Amino acid sequence: MTFYLSEVTRIRSTCYGNQAQLETVMVTRRYINHNFDKKLNLKLLSHIHFTSKFHLLRLFKRYYGQTPQQYLTDKRIEKAKELLSKGTPVNETCFEIGFESPCSFSTLFKSRTGISPAGFQKRATFAMPV
Amino acid sequence: MKVKVISVPVMDQEKALQFYTQKLGFIKKIDVPLSEHSRWLTVVSKEEQDGPQILLEPAPQHFEPAKVYQKALFEAGIPYTQFNVDNAAQEYERLVNLGVEFSITPTEMGTVKIAVFNDTCGNNIQLVEML
Repeated sequence: MTFYLSEVTRIRSTCYGNQAQLETVMVTRRYINHNFDKKLNLKLLSHIHFTSKFHLLRLFKRYYGQTPQQYLTDKRIEKAKELLSKGTPVNETCFEIGFESPCSFSTLFKSRTGISPAGFQKRATFAMPV
Repeated sequence: MKVKVISVPVMDQEKALQFYTQKLGFIKKIDVPLSEHSRWLTVVSKEEQDGPQILLEPAPQHFEPAKVYQKALFEAGIPYTQFNVDNAAQEYERLVNLGVEFSITPTEMGTVKIAVFNDTCGNNIQLVEML
């Protein structure tokens, strides 16, 4: 057995020994992946696997290193980039990923990527994919 | 400050280019001769062509400490870096069918599934699927 495999085995048993907790966070993450365009909050997410919202928040942060809200925002920005690259108008992209305000969407997008949604779309349009 | 390039040390740049493009599916991005024996050679993900570039860095050929370090990591089974995939089991099957050798078959590790293969250029590389 290599050093790495022995480390993988060790970490799996010490850090990931609680299958019930893993199941809770994985179900939550998958739910966010399939419903990022809807209005999601911690209370709703905690009901999916019948846990308290504080417990869910703690577990999600422990296993994924982010809060569910941070993960949701990442997911929405990722999806926004896909839609903008395909030519979807900025306002339409905003609503498709679950934002209610094009202004707040644009502000968040720019703070995360360094470029406005329109600027990103323009750049994507001129990039030449192989 | 932005992260645009990450380096992967390789024993042979041309061999690495063939492996990373034909087996792994990356696309050559930049290829500029630097000397008789080396190039500034980068590849990018086909799915993210404006994303980070992987520099196929020939340091192990020219710099003994780099060679020693790479060999030590490899023999310990430690991956030099990792790439994300949507489905580790499917990617494993695809690569096995292309003749790629794995030291760790798809294995769940908490919130991820990992697999580790030999890039034939001196490195173990890890695949990771988020669960």
